[in-house]
Amino acid sequence: MRGLILSRLAAFALTLIVASSILFVAVNVVPGSAARSALGIDATPQALARFEAQHGLDRPLVVQYAEWLGKTFTGDFGKSFQNGVDVGPELLRRLPVTLELAIFAFIIANLIALPLGAFAAMRHQRAADKGISLLASLLGAVPNFWLATLLVMVLTLHFRLLPPGGYTPFTVNPVMNLKQMIMPALSLGIVSSALLIRIMRTAMIEVLSSDYIRTARAKGAKEGVVVMRHAIRNAMTPYVNVAAVEFGFLFGSVVVIEDIFLLPGIGSFVLVGIINRDYPVLLASALTITLVVLIINLIVDIVVGRLDPRRVTRHQ
Amino acid sequence: MSTAIRKPFNWRRWRLVVTGGAIVGTILLLAILAPWVAPYSPFDLNVAQMLKGPSATHLLGTDELGRDVLSRVIHAARLSMMVAVLASLVGLVFGTLIGTLAAYFGGIVDLILMRLMEILFSFPAILLAIVLMASLGTSIFNAMIAIGIIFIPGFARLARATAESVLRQQYVEQARAIGMSHTRILVREILPNILAPLLVEAAVAFSYAVLLESALSFLGLGAQPPDPSWGNMLNTGRGFMGVAPWLSIVPGAAIFLTVFGFNMLGDGLRDAFDPQLRDE
Amino acid sequence: MREYRPHAQGAARPALAIRELTVDFQRRSGLLRTVDKVSLDVWPKEIVGVIGESGSGKTMTALSAMRLLPHGAKIGGAIALGGRDLVNIGESEMRALRGDRIALIPQDAMQSLNPTMRVGRQVGEPYEFHRKQSYGAIWSKVVELLRAVKIADPETRVRDYPHQFSGGMQQRAMIAMGLALDPELIIADEPTTALDVTVQARILKLLRDIRDERGSAILFITHELGIVAELCDWVYVMKDGKVVEDGPVKRIFEAPKADYTRMLLEATPSIHRRKGAKR
Ligand SMILES: Nc1ncnc2c1ncn2[C@@H]1O[C@H](COP(=O)(O)OP(=O)(O)OP(=O)(O)O)[C@@H](O)[C@H]1O
Ligand SMILES: [Mg+2]
Repeated sequence: MRGLILSRLAAFALTLIVASSILFVAVNVVPGSAARSALGIDATPQALARFEAQHGLDRPLVVQYAEWLGKTFTGDFGKSFQNGVDVGPELLRRLPVTLELAIFAFIIANLIALPLGAFAAMRHQRAADKGISLLASLLGAVPNFWLATLLVMVLTLHFRLLPPGGYTPFTVNPVMNLKQMIMPALSLGIVSSALLIRIMRTAMIEVLSSDYIRTARAKGAKEGVVVMRHAIRNAMTPYVNVAAVEFGFLFGSVVVIEDIFLLPGIGSFVLVGIINRDYPVLLASALTITLVVLIINLIVDIVVGRLDPRRVTRHQ
Repeated sequence: MSTAIRKPFNWRRWRLVVTGGAIVGTILLLAILAPWVAPYSPFDLNVAQMLKGPSATHLLGTDELGRDVLSRVIHAARLSMMVAVLASLVGLVFGTLIGTLAAYFGGIVDLILMRLMEILFSFPAILLAIVLMASLGTSIFNAMIAIGIIFIPGFARLARATAESVLRQQYVEQARAIGMSHTRILVREILPNILAPLLVEAAVAFSYAVLLESALSFLGLGAQPPDPSWGNMLNTGRGFMGVAPWLSIVPGAAIFLTVFGFNMLGDGLRDAFDPQLRDE
Repeated sequence: MREYRPHAQGAARPALAIRELTVDFQRRSGLLRTVDKVSLDVWPKEIVGVIGESGSGKTMTALSAMRLLPHGAKIGGAIALGGRDLVNIGESEMRALRGDRIALIPQDAMQSLNPTMRVGRQVGEPYEFHRKQSYGAIWSKVVELLRAVKIADPETRVRDYPHQFSGGMQQRAMIAMGLALDPELIIADEPTTALDVTVQARILKLLRDIRDERGSAILFITHELGIVAELCDWVYVMKDGKVVEDGPVKRIFEAPKADYTRMLLEATPSIHRRKGAKR
């Protein structure tokens, strides 16, 4: 088990370094653009050069990257080009918003996908299965920003049930917090559930046709016991793997949803960074999202190992 | 006389392909013929006709500048299709190249290339696209490049897996034995044999490209007004949600229908070519 | 002329009676009949062999009696367990019989054990489903069962996962599961295939002991003639979903009537030697 964790950690570190360099290169691939966007189109060449020298942008990219990486590791995310404010503390303020949104959405996605997927598998090739499969195809084609718009149109404008956006910390006003979070979370969660329904269905069909399920039935197990005790756990291994990837997608999609619902999270910070060409902000927030996604994958890698007793004992 | 037995057309096997194909075909046709089938110009302003609901003269209503929504949606299809085709092509070409090279040369080349692909794959796609857009600059061409780059790892993985199984075949061994050049083997022997699954994957990539492009345009990072794109139409429409809901509903429905059609086509093709499912 | 069948004497009715059983699958190419009008009896305390080549419908016959045919199979004919109809009863009635009065020891032990559940828990499930008992009581019964099927150190082995068992142990765990509630009929589907000869011999002895000590009737499916010769009282020979011949083991080996049986015997010359050595 320890060997497994260590090798996963090593892979994680490598991935993080390569991923951060990809981000860094992606942001800096066009030289000089930072200065120009920070100072405006009609900035003089002298002003541009001064800005670049001031922020160390005139040095080779490798040197800039090394410096940025080193500072990032010590928790120094630099200062915003735009207003000189420290990026690090701002990130910390924004992270809980995005985490709450993503986790809330992920819970919704699973609450939809697990029962529907399992039920479809139990009714394999019958009407309910076909209906659920069609529903999954339909949901999978819905753009989440469109769903968000429709939700606002119905729940806010028509029924006046929920606020159109904004953010109140849970600790300040839990009810308001949930009211503001429900539509963003639904927009992300419902769309994410499409893939998860399919995965759960496929995994359960596979498991339900296996010999050990027949054994359980041969012992006189009720259908509920067959599904809950024997099938679900075995279907979880493939499911959790895909769900983790889906959580990554979901976490990346917060950018759009946070923008729509005016949530001050990391996602909208990415947009701030882009619109202002504020590279420290953009890099730091994109890296944070990537880091969270990678950490989730790491955890899942290790947890999936635990779900399957065959893997656990092999590594003991 | 032909000895081939003509099998009756199997509707069950092809129904997804046919339905998906019909949806996709219609949209592609509308996109290609946009200037001729759209009732109005997508740019013509008409202050007297601002924010009018659907009517006989404007089937899907007009927008905040009095432009015909139907015409704009049809013209936007053009842009979306173009981005989707080119982005999928970028992903297909580079992904196939990387995947086959990795499979063909194996060893350290394989290790480095595929490790890199895996890392690229672990990025949330939309985030990577957004970051790339930041440095490339907001334009529809750049959106296409950014989306194409996102697709590369997916195609590379698939190409590598299929190329590996082709490489194990006898005729490739023979080609190597008689001293055929690397390029010749790759192009003549391997490429034709891995293309089918890659093209099926392309249909799926296509639908994802439509989603990503509209998301980027929605955020203001893709197509720039006044050029119509489903994403930026939806974004402007949101400002008039209360008074003109069709401005939000129509472009979203267009995205939804396109993505649904392509997914169906992709799923259908995959099933139709999957030998395991054939005898059901 | 009816052949003398010792176990049928003095018994009121067969433990299992199958009449004109058919099992069909709907294929695109048409109906696939995998079991074709099979009739067979298993009398109380009798060990009945079903022999036939791969694909001859043995497993489908066995699963019909459990009413556990794969999805899409259509069943016809009549099946009775101790005189009680099994084809037309409701699912919950059938469930009450499974594992309690009729048990299945399936063909592939490794695939038939749930990989994510401890062996002990799985072996104890018949008690759990059919008898209201405390977990402690079930636990000690499971240990006893595992001891009965000769699994060494059962107190610690109950906590193992299936993959920690050897192939022979997995097979014996499946047997233990089948024995749990002393069912009147045990259907064993090739329980010794893929095991080495010594393990195989031990398992066969175990089954014989079960019959002798607990009085269960056993329907034993195999494609190995040697096992039939050693274990069974009566044997049915199947080919292409049909029963081509049945009779007492001794007579089948000495004077087969059907051509197919003769062919089977000729293809396996070592049987005669084995049979001879035993006498
Ligand atoms: N799920 C299924 N769907 C369709 N046909 C099936 C299915 N399962 C089995 N069959 C067919 O039923 C026939 C009989 O199979 P069965 O498993 O009873 O053979 P068997 O005598 O047990 O063979 P073996 O000795 O290999 O176990 C075979 O022709 C097989 O192809
Ligand atoms: Mg069988």
